[in-house]
Amino acid sequence: MMQGQQRRNLLGPALLTVLLLIAPLMIPIYWTMILSEILIMGLMAISFNLLLGYTGLLSFGQGAFFGLGAYSAALMLQGGYENLFLILFVGMLVAMLAALAVGIFSVQLDEIFFAMITLGFGMLFFSVAHNWRTVTGGSDGLPVFSLPSLNFFGSQLTFYAPVNMYYLIFVLVFIGCSLLWLIVHSPFGLILKALRENKQRVSFVGGNVKILRIAAFAISGAFTGLAGVLFCLFNNMATPEFMHWSFSAKPVIMSVIGGTSVFLGPLFGAAIFFVLEQIIIQFTENWMLFLGIVLVFIVLFFPEGVFGTLRNKFFKQGSK
Amino acid sequence: MSVHDVLRIENLGHSYGKFKVIEDISLSIGKGEMSALIGPNGAGKTTFYNAISGKFPPTKGKVLLNGKDITGLPSHRVVDKGMCRSFQITNIFAELTVAENIFSPLIIQQNKHFKLYGDIFKDQQITEKAMETLQQVGLSDRADQIVANLAYGDKRLVEMAIVLARDPSVVLLDEPTAGMNPEETENMISLIKKLAKNSGTTFFITEHDMKVVFSLAEKIYVLHQGHLLAQGKPEEIRANEQVQEAYLGRKVHA
Amino acid sequence: METLLLNTLNGLSWGMLLFLIAVGLTTVFGVLGVLNFAHGSLFMLGAYLCMQSMQYFDSFWLGLLIGPLCAAVLGVLVEKYLLKRVYGRDVSYQLLLTFAILLILDDGVRMIWGSGYHVVDPPAILSGIISITGQDYPVYRIFLIIIGPIIGTLLWSFFHFTKWGKIIRAASFDNIMAEGVGINVPMIYTAVFALGTWLAALGGALAAPQQSLVPSMGEKIIIESFIVVVIGGMGSFPGAFVGALLLGLLGSFGTVFAGNMQMAIPYILMAAILMIRPNGLFKKGV
Repeated sequence: MMQGQQRRNLLGPALLTVLLLIAPLMIPIYWTMILSEILIMGLMAISFNLLLGYTGLLSFGQGAFFGLGAYSAALMLQGGYENLFLILFVGMLVAMLAALAVGIFSVQLDEIFFAMITLGFGMLFFSVAHNWRTVTGGSDGLPVFSLPSLNFFGSQLTFYAPVNMYYLIFVLVFIGCSLLWLIVHSPFGLILKALRENKQRVSFVGGNVKILRIAAFAISGAFTGLAGVLFCLFNNMATPEFMHWSFSAKPVIMSVIGGTSVFLGPLFGAAIFFVLEQIIIQFTENWMLFLGIVLVFIVLFFPEGVFGTLRNKFFKQGSK
Repeated sequence: MSVHDVLRIENLGHSYGKFKVIEDISLSIGKGEMSALIGPNGAGKTTFYNAISGKFPPTKGKVLLNGKDITGLPSHRVVDKGMCRSFQITNIFAELTVAENIFSPLIIQQNKHFKLYGDIFKDQQITEKAMETLQQVGLSDRADQIVANLAYGDKRLVEMAIVLARDPSVVLLDEPTAGMNPEETENMISLIKKLAKNSGTTFFITEHDMKVVFSLAEKIYVLHQGHLLAQGKPEEIRANEQVQEAYLGRKVHA
Repeated sequence: METLLLNTLNGLSWGMLLFLIAVGLTTVFGVLGVLNFAHGSLFMLGAYLCMQSMQYFDSFWLGLLIGPLCAAVLGVLVEKYLLKRVYGRDVSYQLLLTFAILLILDDGVRMIWGSGYHVVDPPAILSGIISITGQDYPVYRIFLIIIGPIIGTLLWSFFHFTKWGKIIRAASFDNIMAEGVGINVPMIYTAVFALGTWLAALGGALAAPQQSLVPSMGEKIIIESFIVVVIGGMGSFPGAFVGALLLGLLGSFGTVFAGNMQMAIPYILMAAILMIRPNGLFKKGV
């Protein structure tokens, strides 16, 4: 009678997982590192898309939570805390709490308001990080000199080698995305989609729109913080740039390019973004200009993004 | 007025500044008493519905649902207390499937809206109730279709199902046959009759189509320029000269 | 006492500039329902175009005239060929489009004029200093304090006393009805967007003599004008005025009293006002 659309084709993602697992063995280290960055930004973009693609909220301030994750990690490492799990946990917790606070203000009115307020709060965090030299190192940021290691079945794993770092990132991004996938396919996830479709109707079926949005924002913030922790470990540093609106714009652009209606769309958007950047930088300094033009094209003619459009062409049923 | 009134409105009024849109409306609906609110455009019907269903709080008066004061509560709380409504312009989740549309009220009613894991389709409590509701409105064979692709009449049925899914005490139907052709209208009338008979829900309808009103309503309230002009059984209303003058005009229905 | 007066003057002059930009932003929002992320870039464009025309014509006043007009023409093109296509769509797409325009404009300016900074001198009459309670104060800033309310009053009169102004206000309240009575709503939209663009660019041209021109000058102002609009009430003309002055004055006194925290003041103000009045200080409307 009623079939779930949940019986999704998991073959694609499984294939992707295998490819990503064996990639470092087949490509030069430089590309392994690019892939690491793509995975981290992909996680950030997928977390962001929980808000845009699923809840219908456009946040221009995700960089704040990313940065909070990064700074938490940096501060803990500087303070001598080397337990990887603790660092991950604290980073996500701090980001989530901040998102809760910002969310409470931001959901009061409609979506336009939300975009502006999140932009404003993001920049507030940026200005604090930029100016509070004693804690955040000011515009220089906080360097990280030693990375945590992991006690894995008796042996100590270190992550200084790019390939080791890649696998650490891969595993954590995989876990993060899987959790997000579960959330998106849960009853809560359905209500989020309902919010995106018709928030008035959600309140008229008994849902408290504000609280639901705050919850989505907090969850998204937590996973964005996770991406921030990983980026800090990857880059050995936390800087205020992570909180600037130009950084917050990245997950937005990646999601739109990749497609907000496909779960993994933002991840592919991140890949496309990086590849485009590498190519265009060869020819011109004016990367933003081209990005803007690409974005205009996509908004006007391909609102489903690259993967959304492909998915609509090749598969009849539309649903994530 | 009796103690068993399922919906009681006392001196309800709503003004924007000095402009009084509706004023001094009092009515009471008994359980199962199918009622209709009629009135010309601009009489204040939509404002009335909005003020009692939680879209905004009325500036004056009281709304009592099953004896409890729900005046001024926001819409999600009103739904919680047992009153759901449909809208004149179909208000559903367009890009979700029919089934998912019905799941939404159920998830919230069963307090599962913060459940962050789990396949809804494996939740028997939800799927069974959803199927039951879909069967009632005749949509069970279209459960997996995306609502945006349905015919207009079917979309209205989805809205009806969403409204009924939580087994509310009172259902406000705002122009349920708006935009329907005669056949769809007939189907809707039979459906509402059937639903009223088989469920414990009390229906309160606003309509422009007089045929629908007179086929369904046991009691009619006439709204005119923001006031209740008259109330009573259909025959009484039809015979009421003031009502004829203000509203029914030349249209005569058998 | 002198610092109080000087800080007030500084606050007012910055506030007036902020007002010009915010009022353009809030009017476009009030009529079209669009929040233009690229508004700050238009401010920057106005400054650069003014500077460029000064290089040809050697006159600030001509620059003040030509720069914003050219920007307004660009505004017309953007609205007609890009923005119009996304009106029916999700608000997020409109925001994304204006954001893309921001990227194009910001980098475009960098491409044409380079990433370094440029300087514009105020016109001779206004380039002097006057003495206020014994302190030297630039005449140009006084000029800004005066010109702000003048433009504001002209704008307000336009909206309230002229036929076109009333039509625009009607369209902003109910565009379906407006269309019903024969008003050419699409044309109104284009005109209002051009007006908003013109105001932002005018603000930029006026700001040019008192700050260095860099391609990032749009950034700071867009956030501040967002905050002004949020505080004042989205779509509200008086709100833009009050909000801009508040922010200008607080910012000016903030540098003195709050030191490092100064950057955070606009956001704290915004958070505070949102807590008591989530819709901003004023309701939508002129």
